[in-house]
Amino acid sequence: MNFEAIIGIEIHVQQKTKSKMFSAAPNGFSRDPNTQIAPLDMAYPGTMPVVNKQAVINAIRVANALHMEIDHTLYFDRKNYFYSDLPKGFQITQQARPIGKNGYVMVAVPGGMKKIRIERIHMEEDTCKQEHFMDYSLLDYNRAGVPLCEIVSMPDIANGTEAREYAEAIRNIVVYSGTSDGKMEEGSMRCDTNVSIRPYGQKAFGTKVEVKNINSFKNVELAIDYEIKRQSQLLLQGKKIQQETRRWDEASGRTVLMRVKTDAVDYKYFCEPNITPIHMSDEFIQKAIETCPELYDSKKERYLKMGLSETDVEVILANPKTAAYFEEGVPFVQNAKNLANFLIVEINSYLNKNGITIQELELSPKTLGEIVTMQEKGGLSHKQCVDILNKVLEEGVSPEEAKKDLKIVAQVSDTDTILKFVKEALDNNPQSIADFKAGNQRVLGFLVGQVMKASHGKVNPAEVSRLLREELEKR
Amino acid sequence: MKKITKEVLTDAANRLLFTMSDEQYAKLEDEFKILIKQMEKIGEISDLDRYEPMTFPFDCTTTFMREDVPEEPLPREVALKNAGSKQDEQIKLPKVVL
Repeated sequence: MNFEAIIGIEIHVQQKTKSKMFSAAPNGFSRDPNTQIAPLDMAYPGTMPVVNKQAVINAIRVANALHMEIDHTLYFDRKNYFYSDLPKGFQITQQARPIGKNGYVMVAVPGGMKKIRIERIHMEEDTCKQEHFMDYSLLDYNRAGVPLCEIVSMPDIANGTEAREYAEAIRNIVVYSGTSDGKMEEGSMRCDTNVSIRPYGQKAFGTKVEVKNINSFKNVELAIDYEIKRQSQLLLQGKKIQQETRRWDEASGRTVLMRVKTDAVDYKYFCEPNITPIHMSDEFIQKAIETCPELYDSKKERYLKMGLSETDVEVILANPKTAAYFEEGVPFVQNAKNLANFLIVEINSYLNKNGITIQELELSPKTLGEIVTMQEKGGLSHKQCVDILNKVLEEGVSPEEAKKDLKIVAQVSDTDTILKFVKEALDNNPQSIADFKAGNQRVLGFLVGQVMKASHGKVNPAEVSRLLREELEKR
Repeated sequence: MKKITKEVLTDAANRLLFTMSDEQYAKLEDEFKILIKQMEKIGEISDLDRYEPMTFPFDCTTTFMREDVPEEPLPREVALKNAGSKQDEQIKLPKVVL
């Protein structure tokens, strides 16, 4: 029997505002426990929640990017439950009137794009961090009250790959709108997934299993695919699937039972009386949208137009700081593709080798641009420019100084000299000529390599390529 | 309307993880009797479906939101002053994992 999977995802995104959702305590990661708190976060009597404007602006931007209807009035509700991660005994959230509803996002699937509908986005506050030991727990309230956006998809996702694509699409939106760091590994973005399966053709949904504790995009895919397989095997053995919460165990690559769900928990939602409804004008909402930083998809389109490949774009946009670096460097080069090549290959490998981030890189985008220009206009080969770059990175000298120290001279572009090397290479490689005539274009690359080798990299490769073609036609 | 009995209240208390004494249940039951009576009075009014449920007693819509400016947080000693038990600058509790 074949089954189809039905998957819905709830994503919690931690906002990187300066202050918390309802208090003015700083919202910043601190290793020092209980140092980022206001009386409200500890639920002191008499404290009142006041909504953070930036958190609302962020939620509007994300809602807009997800093509949602935006509610012009903000209402908040209390979700009541008694647990130590929540000193007030309730979490302030938006149950009845989420700020955004009925949206969608397009994700890449084999053979095209698929529309994943999104039910809602709402704002709420994060809970405190608990660390559990053998027989006691320790509480750190730094995280209590941090603004969250919760984004709830419709059950439109069919497998692990789509789930990962979906989560990445949401990540791209929250990161580029400036809402969140969107780092699953660090908990600033958390995915809870609901997975059920049913035989193809059956209308009724199967029993839903929730999978939590997924800490990377890759694991979203792995956890869901594992869960679909597990549930399929149970049904094929004639067993029942029970409604339960499982967690992803990365070490074993499996989902593990956390608890069986009996009764649905009754959170006794009611309207938060301490926050009166807040009306947002059309102008306020429009301004929030118009001032939104450029989003991922728009940047991608722009970079593709600059001549970058799809892969180049993905590598650069994977980190918004890399994208910012790239954009700062573009005005200093002739062709953005050349800058991208240096950034993706040379700079990335330097960062990896030294275990630093691009923010820690001392080389400015302008200086990198200057080095790229030496290749574009200064007649230097790529290899020569890489040598200059490495010297600049290691010794902090200017590109010109590095060029002088390395005794690098511009490539020979003089046609007669190059032609001599070209002819020599062709004479030495008759088989390559035959291959080229037979339609094998790749031998051209080999021949360019031979010329570069013979000339010790001093000739201009573009010119070599042009002359090789001319000579090959003649032979 | 659902009849409020001790069983209903016990069930609600259990779901909310509360323990209550018999006296407290008795008091709550009495209070509910009054509440139900008041609700029945409202129930006598016809045509209520035409009205939206009211969340706030009067229109108190505002446009005010706080600017995102952090203020000085509580000094840790103050924040932890009321904690019954502490360890490593954190509040210590018996372990309960939900």
